[in-house]
Amino acid sequence: MRPRIEKVDFAVDEHIWGHRLYDEQLPHLTMLEFLNVLWSNAGAPLREEPGRTVTYKPQRQIRLRSLLFNNPYVEAIRARAIPDADKWAEWEALFLEEATGRGDKDIGHLRRAFLSFDDFARAIELLRSSAFEGQSNKRWSSKFVFPFGPDALYEDLRFESDGVSNDRRFFARTGELLYLMLCRSAKGAELGDRLVERLFSASAPMNRLVRTLQGEPQRADDDRNVGYLPHASNPRFDRMCDDWLAVLSRDMPAYDALEHLIATAGLNLLLYFLECGARAVGDANPVELVCEIVSRDRSKVRALSGESFQYNESLSLRAVRASVEDIRSTPEWEAALASADPSGECAAVLRAYFQWPPAGGDEDVDAARASGEEMIRTLAAKAESRHDQHLGKVHWSWSRALGLSSRRLSRRVRYAPNDRLLKTLVVAIVDDRMQFDEFLHEAHTRYGLVMGDAEGARLVRENLVDQEALADNRGRLESRLLGLGLLRRLSDSCSFVENPFTSKGGE
Amino acid sequence: MRGAKQENNNGNSTMNDTTMASAVLPPPPSTRWVRFLRNYGPLPTNGNLFDEYVHEAVRRASVAPVVLSSPHLEEMIVVMTSAEPCSILIAGTAGDGKTFHCRSLWAALGGSPTEWSAPGKVKTLTALGGRSVVFVTDLSALLDTESDDALEGLERSVSSGDGTITYVVATNHGQILERLRGLGARRGRVSPLRKPIQDVFLQASGGVPRLRVFDLSRTAYSRSLKEVLDAVTGHPGWESCQDCTFDSGARVCPIAENRRRVVGADDGGRLVGRLGDLVEISRLNGSHLPIRDLLALAANMLLGHPDAKDGLMTCADVPKIQDAGTIELAAVYDNVFGSNLPGRRAFSGSALPVFRALSSFGIGEETTNGIDGLLVYGTDDTRLSGAFAAVVGSDPVYGATPVFKALQERYLEGEEEARLDDGAAAFMERLSGQRRRLFFTLPAAREEYPFWSLTAFRFAGDYLDLIESLAARRPVDDKTRARLAKGLNRVMTGLLLDNHDKLFVASSGGFTQSKISVLCETEVPGRRSGGIGMSIRHDALAQRPCLDVVLAPGGGAVTFGLAPVRFEFLCRVAEGALPGSFSNECLEDLLAFKARLLRQSELARLSAAACQGDEVFEEEGSLVLTFIEIEHTGHGYSKPVSVRTTP
Repeated sequence: MRPRIEKVDFAVDEHIWGHRLYDEQLPHLTMLEFLNVLWSNAGAPLREEPGRTVTYKPQRQIRLRSLLFNNPYVEAIRARAIPDADKWAEWEALFLEEATGRGDKDIGHLRRAFLSFDDFARAIELLRSSAFEGQSNKRWSSKFVFPFGPDALYEDLRFESDGVSNDRRFFARTGELLYLMLCRSAKGAELGDRLVERLFSASAPMNRLVRTLQGEPQRADDDRNVGYLPHASNPRFDRMCDDWLAVLSRDMPAYDALEHLIATAGLNLLLYFLECGARAVGDANPVELVCEIVSRDRSKVRALSGESFQYNESLSLRAVRASVEDIRSTPEWEAALASADPSGECAAVLRAYFQWPPAGGDEDVDAARASGEEMIRTLAAKAESRHDQHLGKVHWSWSRALGLSSRRLSRRVRYAPNDRLLKTLVVAIVDDRMQFDEFLHEAHTRYGLVMGDAEGARLVRENLVDQEALADNRGRLESRLLGLGLLRRLSDSCSFVENPFTSKGGE
Repeated sequence: MRGAKQENNNGNSTMNDTTMASAVLPPPPSTRWVRFLRNYGPLPTNGNLFDEYVHEAVRRASVAPVVLSSPHLEEMIVVMTSAEPCSILIAGTAGDGKTFHCRSLWAALGGSPTEWSAPGKVKTLTALGGRSVVFVTDLSALLDTESDDALEGLERSVSSGDGTITYVVATNHGQILERLRGLGARRGRVSPLRKPIQDVFLQASGGVPRLRVFDLSRTAYSRSLKEVLDAVTGHPGWESCQDCTFDSGARVCPIAENRRRVVGADDGGRLVGRLGDLVEISRLNGSHLPIRDLLALAANMLLGHPDAKDGLMTCADVPKIQDAGTIELAAVYDNVFGSNLPGRRAFSGSALPVFRALSSFGIGEETTNGIDGLLVYGTDDTRLSGAFAAVVGSDPVYGATPVFKALQERYLEGEEEARLDDGAAAFMERLSGQRRRLFFTLPAAREEYPFWSLTAFRFAGDYLDLIESLAARRPVDDKTRARLAKGLNRVMTGLLLDNHDKLFVASSGGFTQSKISVLCETEVPGRRSGGIGMSIRHDALAQRPCLDVVLAPGGGAVTFGLAPVRFEFLCRVAEGALPGSFSNECLEDLLAFKARLLRQSELARLSAAACQGDEVFEEEGSLVLTFIEIEHTGHGYSKPVSVRTTP
């Protein structure tokens, strides 16, 4: 029996991917939501007790975020040639005018904490400069300070005259799902301990600074249940967990590791999205992403990577339709069709699977009187149209945010990884050094990335591309990595990919 | 330049005289040798560059072979004839001399030449008192099963170490690692040799027990270059040139002229010395130049001329070139960079690595105002004419030739044609040629015309001095140290700091990649004192200098290998000018270095906190953030901002 999902008109995507992946919750926002869940569960991180839903109580840190993002006066006042006390007074008056009154009017402690207004302004400037999307034109309550430590975490909020709500605009539960995925990976508990140790150091200077601004943490009023994830285990969850453990083992500051955690999480979530889609449409081939390493000249690989992108782009929509239509082959459906009241029985079967049509019918009541086939058509159309709004855009927007897809030098979107993503791949895959061929092989096995001729052997066999074009592509990757300081050439035929942050500390 | 040869000048031959005369002159006496040498050059079919063919060529040409010493060969013979012989792995890139070493070792151990020339890539020698040596001359030519057998034999010989059957395996780097991986996969195990051999290749370890690895691609190059050039220019084949009519009187044979310049009797071998420096810097930057390339380079330097077939002269071409008056196009200084080769063969992707490596110095394009001023206005400007006469006018063959002077004059007079698009192209081309010539000929003492400024590596001279100081255990030049520290500070902070006596380890608060980092995590002296700070030392494994920064007493050092390109990058950043063409690679390397420094500082902070128990490192209840502030002079200083953390 499928679990019931609240607050949805019907549940189709939810049973393929969970509730829910969301296109506007880009990987870094997914990470921030994840960190909120993790911090709330820091006592037993990434451990899911059987039969009990994971819950969490996110922080809100309204004082902190107001000071950072709803406080446009600091710089102007700092620049004025007036006595320090006047600066404070003037700023306070202006700030309080805009304050939400939910804890952010209480700012008397700041004068005691900072020796001068200039010091205060300098600290604000420092925190803003490292904020996520500090420069964007998002509402101020959706801007986030860099996750320096536990005090820097808070959830996305919407402030209105009549109150504050969590409108799930940018924290749409994808981070909750990420938490569950990692809980359900083989080494989840080990990872949980490592994450808490590395990322939640309350004594880290920047965290202490944030805490000074915020004071005692402000939390949401009640515990939340995390979203629904249909899979009890999945090789992709294990892959993600192993990637994170690898990143955390590298010799780099915790804050730098975050960048690679975000990118590997994004990449694995994207693959999860595609793989679940492929399974739903019955495609048994492993998901492949044919990547062009950008070259000036139009190459066959560019066309191919564009086609690969398009194929994957259409996968999820096909998956939605297929998963509705697959109901026809269930024994329940056949029994319903053979029953005395096929229409009613079919509706009941659909309801059990998809929470639709609604039992106490309102506008959908007509649907319940229709034939089974008609109902399937209606539901598939509804599901497709809902899917198109957000979930259907996940592949497009995430692959772009990850630096995996690009339109560079072309009108079509295609897979063309950028330097940052390539660097993350090296950090995640290579322990200290690895032969280039092996690296390509690993990138293919782990993430389905096709960048060289050996990995694209299938494409060559099917005459989609000649081997030379893929070999050129591989050569371009080699040069790119060389330019990024991630590769060493030994001789004409032998090069090694090197991780500059080897666990041992390297050269 | 011409030395004794000049005395033969009878002083009355003109171009017309020689044209007429060439018909009756006897043929050049060294034709055979020059033709043989030409076969070493960068020709589409350069047979002599393969050990397998050179013998036959020597016999046919009946000239003495070009003989190069091999320090490795002596060592190999010692290993094989010692009381406890062990297997040998000869690794190298194509053209490093793997086959040459195998064959020579075979002969030295008493193997017969006929058996060697017989077909078959695996040969066994059983002449050493019951011991046998298996030679595998070309791993890549073997089938998987054959190579598996051979490599398992090698593994056995290494693990048993009894020396009754030893192996000599010649291979390129990728091949042996690939074959060992394949062997492991086919046998369902991991070859015990793969990782240790890989580590030796990557200079991560010094050796493998009971297996001697000779990595021919790591031979010191400037020495090999000198040896190759000595062997070629000192070959007995040149002796008969003494009597050649094409290099006497007013006739200058460009081949003989080039040879004289390479020998460099007049200037203490400046050309070879500077070329050696270029080759050395290329090596330290990671490009590998096999012996085969150096031989090709030598032949090209002497024989290059763009009008000759395939860009390489034979003796028969010389009279034609003399008659056409295009001797100066054979300038050895242009030939070094392969300018003589047709279809820009020197610059294409398939070019020999040696030309690719040398062209990366940009010699000919890079210049300074002073040097270009001299070359353009030197004849007319009285303030420059002395220097012009000394460094350009003194060389009538490749310097101030009549053609150069005519083009220069036309350019200066601004004749109509010269004002058209590309009208000055011919002069510009000559200008490039002169810059190349000056790089190889300017005396080091002429400090107003620093020859390294004619390359993309303007600080290469300082770099080579640094290597020398480290080798001689002399203190590093203060200017160099200061420049490195200043460059590092600028990269670390993203601010135009001038500090050179200390290093700021700076963070942006968040990601290391951020453009500007104003938060000073820690600062250490620009030279090592009291166990902390920056030191510059020689890295024995990588065979080049490196920076070594220790942040806390007893803490680990963070090392940054100082390849010439990284050195150049830091120096240029310190001097405030970084051409856009500079590779992204150095910046990425430096950001990785910075991230490791920040990690080290994070660890130091954690361990300090752990040592002091609950007592926080800073004063209880307060937090000090150190900002880097910059004065208008460019001097940076740290400004602590104290924050009370308990209300």
